[in-house]
Amino acid sequence: MNNITNIGTQTDWIVLVVYMITMLLFGSYFAKYNKDTNDFFFGGRRFSWWLIAMSIVATGISSHSFVKYSAMGFKYGFSSSMSYINDWFFVPLFMFGWLPIIIYSKIRSIPEYFERRFSPAARFLVTILQLLYLIGYVGIGFLTMGKAILPLMPESMSIFGINFHVTLMGLIWVTAIITGAYITFGGQTAVIFTDLVQGTMLIFAGLLVFFLGISYVGGWNSLWNLLPTSWKLPFAGYNSPAEFNSVGTFWEDAIAGSVGFLFMNMGLIMRFMATKNVHEGRKAAAANILFMLPISAVVVGGGGWVAKAISEMNPNILPPNTNPDTIFVVVANILTGPGVFGFVVAAIAAALMSTVSTLLNAASAIYVNDVDEPLRIWLKKLDRGQRLEEKKAMFVARLSTVAFTFLGVLAVYAFVSYPTIYQAHAFFHATLTPPLMIAIFLGAFWKKYTPAGLVTTVIGGISLMLLGNRFPYELIRPIAHGTPFDPVHPYTYISALYNLIVCGALAVLVTLFQHQLKKLSARIYKNKRHNLIIYGMIAFSTIVVITDILVTLLRLDVASVEVLFSLSIIMSFFVALITTHYVKYDPEAQTTGLTIWSIHKAKEYFKGRKLNEREGEKVFVHWKLITDDNEDIISFSQRDMHKMEAHPGDLVYLCDARKYLGGLKSVHTVYGEPHTEDGIVYIRKRHLESGLFVEGKILYGEKEM
Amino acid sequence: MKLDFMNTWLPFIYLYVGGGIFFLMGLIIIRKSKALDMRQKRHRFWWKALIFGYFYFMALHAFLIIAALYL
Repeated sequence: MNNITNIGTQTDWIVLVVYMITMLLFGSYFAKYNKDTNDFFFGGRRFSWWLIAMSIVATGISSHSFVKYSAMGFKYGFSSSMSYINDWFFVPLFMFGWLPIIIYSKIRSIPEYFERRFSPAARFLVTILQLLYLIGYVGIGFLTMGKAILPLMPESMSIFGINFHVTLMGLIWVTAIITGAYITFGGQTAVIFTDLVQGTMLIFAGLLVFFLGISYVGGWNSLWNLLPTSWKLPFAGYNSPAEFNSVGTFWEDAIAGSVGFLFMNMGLIMRFMATKNVHEGRKAAAANILFMLPISAVVVGGGGWVAKAISEMNPNILPPNTNPDTIFVVVANILTGPGVFGFVVAAIAAALMSTVSTLLNAASAIYVNDVDEPLRIWLKKLDRGQRLEEKKAMFVARLSTVAFTFLGVLAVYAFVSYPTIYQAHAFFHATLTPPLMIAIFLGAFWKKYTPAGLVTTVIGGISLMLLGNRFPYELIRPIAHGTPFDPVHPYTYISALYNLIVCGALAVLVTLFQHQLKKLSARIYKNKRHNLIIYGMIAFSTIVVITDILVTLLRLDVASVEVLFSLSIIMSFFVALITTHYVKYDPEAQTTGLTIWSIHKAKEYFKGRKLNEREGEKVFVHWKLITDDNEDIISFSQRDMHKMEAHPGDLVYLCDARKYLGGLKSVHTVYGEPHTEDGIVYIRKRHLESGLFVEGKILYGEKEM
Repeated sequence: MKLDFMNTWLPFIYLYVGGGIFFLMGLIIIRKSKALDMRQKRHRFWWKALIFGYFYFMALHAFLIIAALYL
């Protein structure tokens, strides 16, 4: 494979560095909007759909980055777009199930949802999985960035007389420090606004390379004729080659990946939680998947497509054996001049910073809510139901962001052995997504799903998944749809199907047999030696889990696959029984408002009183300040209230009427008793501080519910 | 790669039948649970948008396959 180094000019480096510094300053500017952790993590739940949609583009494009899709575009053609146009299948459940549930239940993290829906043990397990997922994702992001910038670098460089050998990991450490600094001080508002700039820039940069490439090869017709027919198909081969095929990609990306991205990615969920209401969240999701993702497919894959055409036209300019992971940077260098090339690389940097900063912010949110707070309660430094002082919480949030940046870099070492980033990412999705996917899906959409079902899905499911990884030929091949067996990285994609089957089957079986498990648990409890029986089952389960981990990680041959698989099934049964025995679960209380079947209740819970769903109009008003008190209510005139179909106690959204601000200057509050001055809203100091309204500027009020 | 049915139209069929099952399940669940309330004007819009989305992507993929094979 041909590895290219030291491309680009000094001008390109200047553009790149200036861009990075500008973004750092731009992000830091928005730190003033971080009054508390709600602002830091969720941007105050105030933004318009278009701002969030653009922000998601910046995040989405980077995570399915320029590097990996250009690489696949170069090797396989238009089928690199597969992952970008297969995300619609779960949108109904997202828009009308998961999105309203997470917003109306006022959770601050996905693990918190699991505590309310199931038990603290469920929260603990999901926290571990979520953090692993986010840290892994950060690792993939850093690896992408390192591989993108490496071709620009000389083999060694000298700073202050000290000679450095430039390595991939060295570059990744430097990138991590810059990104970590930017998110640590900026918070979610910084992420959303810098994303607006970065999203625009990277779409422009990707399309620029694509159109310059078309022009370079002599127009669209030449590009079309230069590409072999198989390069023009939108799908990879059905089940081959092993490293890229349609059936594997369906299970790994269209199913596990789409759900992972929409339902599990706390970073993305936090973006939706930053929209001003559920309806805006739905608009953001639809705009993103219907329009922005197909465009993004061209933006990220186009470089690879034109690179293939150039290499067909003139292999001396672009050798066919060029390292695919460097192809975007290499082709951009061929097509653009000094300075413009720097801009294109800056766009990739932007994409990475955007994704990684989102993920770091999300990991930090989970740490504050699901590790730090429960730990303080456990150590009796905080009372249950009490929140940590905001100043301290912000400090913990920032400190944890730094720690997760560090862990993200360490995670790179797990993926660096894969030949392409695409495969590393696929392995990551196929492995980490299924247990959480099943947990979220059945938790939110199946009322009968129990804590025993969830805990067994995670512990038993992971054990069986580990065995699938250790014995792929025996366990995955029967359902591999004829995908070739690659002994080095076996069934990278189709393993997602096996993982979904084992996790899903355990979840369904344990839930369906919950009644029998309860009976058995009661019988054990009546036994004089019930403690001994339960502890025996715990010991057995622990030994089996540890054995499965060791067998997989150290590739041990302690027993046959049949024996290990049977032991893991028995262990799963014990885990279900132990959970049924210990966990107190009230199916009525712990499903109301927390599954799709009681979404109306969730809305009532959110509002805190009966709903008023009559559709009213927006009203435009000037604001006046009340300084006598600082209650969280605002007052409109009787006529304006009538126009909005609102009553005192209903929820209202008050926002600066300048649309281009996208809701930046806005507040959520409650209607107070009406007055008689039409066109005037009376607000308090707290609303002014949070909304940062400008004197003389018109606001609009809109009833929420 | 051989340009036979298995590598051209089968991935398309697999995606839209396999994905379609999940999509249909989603539609049924949101209707039966009344999370999507057809009495609301906004929800009626979203119902149409959801169905449109499925066929929009299907048409896009079908067009790309036909273009690759015959244009």
